[in-house]
Amino acid sequence: MTFKPTRRSVLQGMLAGSAAFAVMGAFPAFAQQKGGKLTVGLTYEIDTMNVYSTGFLGDAQAAVVEGLLAPDPHAKYVPVLATEVPTLENGGIVVSEGGKTMKITYKLRPGVKWHDGAPFTSADVKYTWEAVKDPAFIAESKDGSSEVESIDTPDDLTVVVNYNTILPTFASTLFTFGILPKHLLEGTDLNTSPYNETPVGTGPFKVTEFVRGQYVVTERFDDYWRKADNGDQLPYLDGIIFKMIPDTNTLITQLKSGEVQLVVQTPYNQAAQVEGIDGIEMIKGPLLSWQHLDFNFKRPSLADINVRKAIASAIDRSILIKAQGGFPEAIKSPVVPVFDFYAADTPETPYDVEAAKKLLDDAGYKPGGDGIREKDGERLSYTFMVQAGRADDELAQQVIIAQLKAIGIEATADNKTGVAYREARYKGGYDLIYGRWITSADPVYSVFWGTGGANNGQSYSNPALDAAFGKFENTLDPAARKEAAAEFQKILAEDLPTISLTTNVALIAKTKKLKNFVPNPTNMTNFINSSPWYLE
Amino acid sequence: MSFGFILRRLGGAIPLLLGISLILFTIIHLAPGGPLDMYTDNPAVSQEALDQIARAYGLDQPVPVQYFLWLKAMVVGDWGYSIRTGRPVLTEIALRLGPTLQLGGLALLVSLCVAIPLGVLSASRRGSALDNGLTLASFTGISVPVFWLALLLQLLFSVQLGWLPSAGYQSIGDGSFLDRLSHIVMPAAVLSLATIASWSRFIRSGMVDVLNQDYVRTAYAKGRGEPGVLLFHALRNAMIPAVTVIAVDFGTVISGAVITETVFAWPGIGRLFMESMDGRDYPMLMGLMMMGSVGIILANIVADLAYAALDPRIRYG
Repeated sequence: MTFKPTRRSVLQGMLAGSAAFAVMGAFPAFAQQKGGKLTVGLTYEIDTMNVYSTGFLGDAQAAVVEGLLAPDPHAKYVPVLATEVPTLENGGIVVSEGGKTMKITYKLRPGVKWHDGAPFTSADVKYTWEAVKDPAFIAESKDGSSEVESIDTPDDLTVVVNYNTILPTFASTLFTFGILPKHLLEGTDLNTSPYNETPVGTGPFKVTEFVRGQYVVTERFDDYWRKADNGDQLPYLDGIIFKMIPDTNTLITQLKSGEVQLVVQTPYNQAAQVEGIDGIEMIKGPLLSWQHLDFNFKRPSLADINVRKAIASAIDRSILIKAQGGFPEAIKSPVVPVFDFYAADTPETPYDVEAAKKLLDDAGYKPGGDGIREKDGERLSYTFMVQAGRADDELAQQVIIAQLKAIGIEATADNKTGVAYREARYKGGYDLIYGRWITSADPVYSVFWGTGGANNGQSYSNPALDAAFGKFENTLDPAARKEAAAEFQKILAEDLPTISLTTNVALIAKTKKLKNFVPNPTNMTNFINSSPWYLE
Repeated sequence: MSFGFILRRLGGAIPLLLGISLILFTIIHLAPGGPLDMYTDNPAVSQEALDQIARAYGLDQPVPVQYFLWLKAMVVGDWGYSIRTGRPVLTEIALRLGPTLQLGGLALLVSLCVAIPLGVLSASRRGSALDNGLTLASFTGISVPVFWLALLLQLLFSVQLGWLPSAGYQSIGDGSFLDRLSHIVMPAAVLSLATIASWSRFIRSGMVDVLNQDYVRTAYAKGRGEPGVLLFHALRNAMIPAVTVIAVDFGTVISGAVITETVFAWPGIGRLFMESMDGRDYPMLMGLMMMGSVGIILANIVADLAYAALDPRIRYG
């Protein structure tokens, strides 16, 4: 994959793979073998082991540090250090009488120990909130910390979080990221703490060595709380080693020579090579990331639904998919199908060049001398932006330009990078823009297309859509949320402020000897489920 | 040559470094992108979080102010903090300097030991099949892309033969001398190949010039044998033009072998530079580039001193 999801972008999404929680029982007891070290190749440098500070994926961190909850492969939260996921039904969530605030009670798992042997208690949870919200702590993510008013810890195994608002996305933030050990960190400076090198967690593996630019070595934590259904003490592996290999060619060479056994991000263009390696198999894992083409509504012609519809009809997703090695998958909704919220009956605009031309003809856009259509003096000639330097995006851009040309619409590449790109994207410095977003397991879509949404550089505004988002994002009732989700998916598909094109997949190359491995929609969180993995 | 000369040269380097720092700082800030770009794909990172990080690193200040703050800190020996890792720039550089010096040092040593004999041999057999063969070999050596050669070596020695580890600085849990040696062989070979090729050309042309000189004829006339003439009369003078090139290459070793270190996952300065470029880590980049500049300036001073040592007629007052 050529895009580099930040830890936050994916962890935000944190679909922690708790597949194994569900899958564990499905494996026969005799099959698992204890022991063996797994060597993992990462193409990025691990900058810090502190889950709240890193700008990158948290692969290594996820094997070491645990949160109260974790999302499973279907974007559903399951308990980790908590004993159950708080809901309205089980009384874990209580909405105040005015309906403006809420109180969430977590019951903590008894008998959990930190890697240094100290007991894990409610004080650690409270400390985590205090440490993260501390303005002196430079964190990449403080999500969910400002919505917490106070935390009560009536006893060692009970945490009561008092929110100053209704936050249906509470599970995708703070305490799911990871809990910090109060007994080790209280009173220290988290920005410079040695914890950032060798974190102490409650996870199945403990960090024994972190050598910058080289590797992170983890070893089995013998007092890990979790047991397999057959009573085996987890984890099965003796340890996981994360090696940082920045060059993908070298990484593939290391797979060939057996120096690494698992690569969670094989570039699309190297997939064919990997498939030819003896003893290595390739798994396609879904990702909560999708590609889309968005319109700037400041252009009068783009504010015309007929033009947007024509463009949607003119795009042949199969070519886009081919251009990206055949790995992405076509979609019609920004809600990636792995979510429960995905509405299968969302209307679709099929690929149909003739229909597109007819739409434009009927709407009065007539081809000029050069074949480019125009109406009332406005030529359908657009600037088209992708993030410069992203080969996959630039390729897709060329495909789309050609497809638009076929219906008499001109698009000219105007690509930018860095701050310039960001500024253009958020302030609408484009006519058409192609890119990708990634969401959390508790996605919030109003930021993209809600009126005044933080990421709505398109100047798009639709009261019906705002209302659907409002329902979706301000209720804790799952049925009502699902209904609202179907509603906004339909509005998006019909009014087309965005054309959802393709999803991404993670190409995971792994040794055939590694068993119990379940891919997860987020690269990072493949490792949250590492305790049941074993090597044959 | 005197102690005063060295002091004067070092003193002269200060305004030079100041100028370099100003240019580097300007270029870095003119380049598109910034340290907060790693969050651009992520709608969930709030503007407040970005603002806080910007404030913490002074990125919210105007660029000239940022420069003067940086300069002030630099003068008192504070190189700032890496935006990517949050650790002091000096600590990060110190960690990576060792592997780079080992790799670069070995590559330079190998290059010297191979390039000098090749250059001398080539010049002394000028026009022969051997000379032509070496010429062809050096041009091949200069032209072969580093990453391609690296890949070939990795496939041969790591995948096919299984003799050497394909990448890394040491095996996990090992790190003995032999283990490190096995890791350094391929990157050092790749790194030295291009230098051998270019240095041997410089030495050859230097030798060709010198071999036409009267004193060389005189040495032969006095009955000195060829090895003696080449090594004791000619080589010393032939090295003078080559010294500049060699000195500059010594300097660049400190700034790291970017491609080689990336391909071989060598945890050195070159790779740190790549990572920092990638993350637009301004403090780290400034630290690395200033260190590289100092290295090149020092190498040039050493080259001047080497001239005088090689040719007593050259004197610096």
